Amino acid sequence: MNVGMIGLGHMGMLHLKNCLHVDSVKVVAAADSSKRALKKAKLVGIKNLYTDYHDLLSDSVDVDTVIISLPNFLHFNSIKLSLEAGFNVFVEKPMAITVDDCRKIVKLVEKSDGKFMVGHCMRFINGIEKMKEIADEGRIGNLEVVTLEQLLNGPFAHGVDFTPVPEWWFDPKKNGGGVLMDLGYHVIDLFRFFVGGDSKILFSCFDHKFNLSFEDGAIVILVSSDSSIKGIINIGWYQKLVFPEYNFRAILHGNAGYVTSDNLVPRNIYLHAVKEGTKNLLRKIVRKKIKPLSYSYYYESYYKELQHFFDCIKNDSDPSISAIDGLKTLELIEEAYKTSSETQFP
Amino acid sequence: MGDVVGLVRTHSSDEDIKNSIEKALNLIDFKPKCAVKSVDIKANLCYYWDATTGYTTDPRVVAGIIDCIRERYGSDINIRVVEADATAMRTKHAFLMLGYEKLAEEKNVELFNLSKDEIHEENVHVNGRGIVFQIPQSLLKSDLFINVPKLKIMRDTKITCALKNIFGCIASPRKIVYHPILNEAIVGINKILHPDLTIVDGLVALGRFPIQLGLIMISKDQFSIDWIASQIMGFNPSKIKFLKIAMKEKLGNLEGIRTSGENVITFKKIFPKENFFSSKRWWDIQLGLFNLYREVVNDVVPPILEKDKS
Repeated sequence: MNVGMIGLGHMGMLHLKNCLHVDSVKVVAAADSSKRALKKAKLVGIKNLYTDYHDLLSDSVDVDTVIISLPNFLHFNSIKLSLEAGFNVFVEKPMAITVDDCRKIVKLVEKSDGKFMVGHCMRFINGIEKMKEIADEGRIGNLEVVTLEQLLNGPFAHGVDFTPVPEWWFDPKKNGGGVLMDLGYHVIDLFRFFVGGDSKILFSCFDHKFNLSFEDGAIVILVSSDSSIKGIINIGWYQKLVFPEYNFRAILHGNAGYVTSDNLVPRNIYLHAVKEGTKNLLRKIVRKKIKPLSYSYYYESYYKELQHFFDCIKNDSDPSISAIDGLKTLELIEEAYKTSSETQFP
Repeated sequence: MGDVVGLVRTHSSDEDIKNSIEKALNLIDFKPKCAVKSVDIKANLCYYWDATTGYTTDPRVVAGIIDCIRERYGSDINIRVVEADATAMRTKHAFLMLGYEKLAEEKNVELFNLSKDEIHEENVHVNGRGIVFQIPQSLLKSDLFINVPKLKIMRDTKITCALKNIFGCIASPRKIVYHPILNEAIVGINKILHPDLTIVDGLVALGRFPIQLGLIMISKDQFSIDWIASQIMGFNPSKIKFLKIAMKEKLGNLEGIRTSGENVITFKKIFPKENFFSSKRWWDIQLGLFNLYREVVNDVVPPILEKDKS
């Protein structure tokens, strides 16, 4: 598979580096408006570089698959052009920033012969996969309530290399929304994943601690379409955490027991990193393939989702996350925004 | 020559804060150098985390200062709250996100981005090394320049308080270029910019974690403030590199430093001091081991840990 990277920001660079570890995948091209980003791509051996992704799509030096990691507002057009050009498409979440655009994408995907997947990476966290397995086996009885929490820095995190938060994050026309569109997208998708069917919003309530025109905290209550399973969501961008701290928690409450992610993700992230890092070191010594990013249970999910996407292309099977998932998640987000108009935190 | 450092305990109501600032001004018997028509207040808005995290100056402290200044020198004086863009922070967002736009509206003061000022380059020699700074010119013209730093520990310099907050006045956003010579750069910029008064916002201080310290600290001498601040934060000030350089460069002098008001011990006792696991050494060890692992195993690095080598 010959891959073209569209967008080399934070997520694009991560996907690029992950691709370099996937067998039978060759990254042959990359596009980004930043010359600095292209320079980084060149350093890892990418030969065909473009400052405009349209050129990558039209030039397509043997590219058959594109990975789109552009700012949210550019997802729709880039997906549309990529699908129309016949590429397999993997796009970072959110699939698009409006339900209308998502519906158009669903239609485009139906017409396309290529594979399409949205990056709902949290479904690929080992602990989440295990929780789903436990619930599906009936080990906690009937699923009654799902609670999901994710509180961290969001776009306001900065790493060892200080860079400003990209300006599009401050523009609601470009980000499509605040924390609900960012972290909320993930956890609403997880609710749908655990419930396994359609859902609707009962209540949503937003916070604006940063005085921005979009929310930085939200409480959302949702329910499965048959009203049998309730979900409680607590998300926020306002918590200052230092990597590798990661404040995420999922609990599935059934009538015969419960399962919590606290018991299924590493309790000590440092020990986990040392343990998994040592395993990779040993793999390297005996010349076996390493498990990329396994030292970070969260970041590993990004590698696993890409691996799954490429496996689907190879085996001509459908990716587990479809354009419909992208659409349904955005429908719930839009519903939550509508519900919230009268329920703001004081 | 060092100077008196006033320490006043405060509670968190707006009225308490204002009264404590007034009390602090009286403690050091503050008198401006000239008739006050214009005032610049340099807050510490290093990032988008609000005052309760201990990172940034509480707008209520700035509000208290504005009220005191107006009561003392007249209600018609021009007051600006100033900050410059930083490597990862944009002042226009920080003013909004940290409550300064609301403050400016309530108190009728100007918010000013020093990065947009008329800029002159100045070369200063520190420790035999020439350093070039971009200096916002309007800052040199104010009748009263008040520095309002936080009380924080910092991996690179151990402490950050009065002298380090002036480093934030450098107009160029990419201040990260000074980080390899950060101690010298802190001293260098303070050789050019001289606040008339420093009022430390110690309502919430930042050690290993944020702590409600309830402290207002004041002095006309920045070096004296940092000397006492180091003690509160559990460091031996004579081992703080930029303070040592400041003494060598005649920017600070131990002689004359004394405290007035509350006792240093009161605050020192509750400050969450640095330990090995919050120190630069531990951070460097972790990053060093991680980079070694990456080199040997060729594993993927999350962008948050990626250093830009371009």
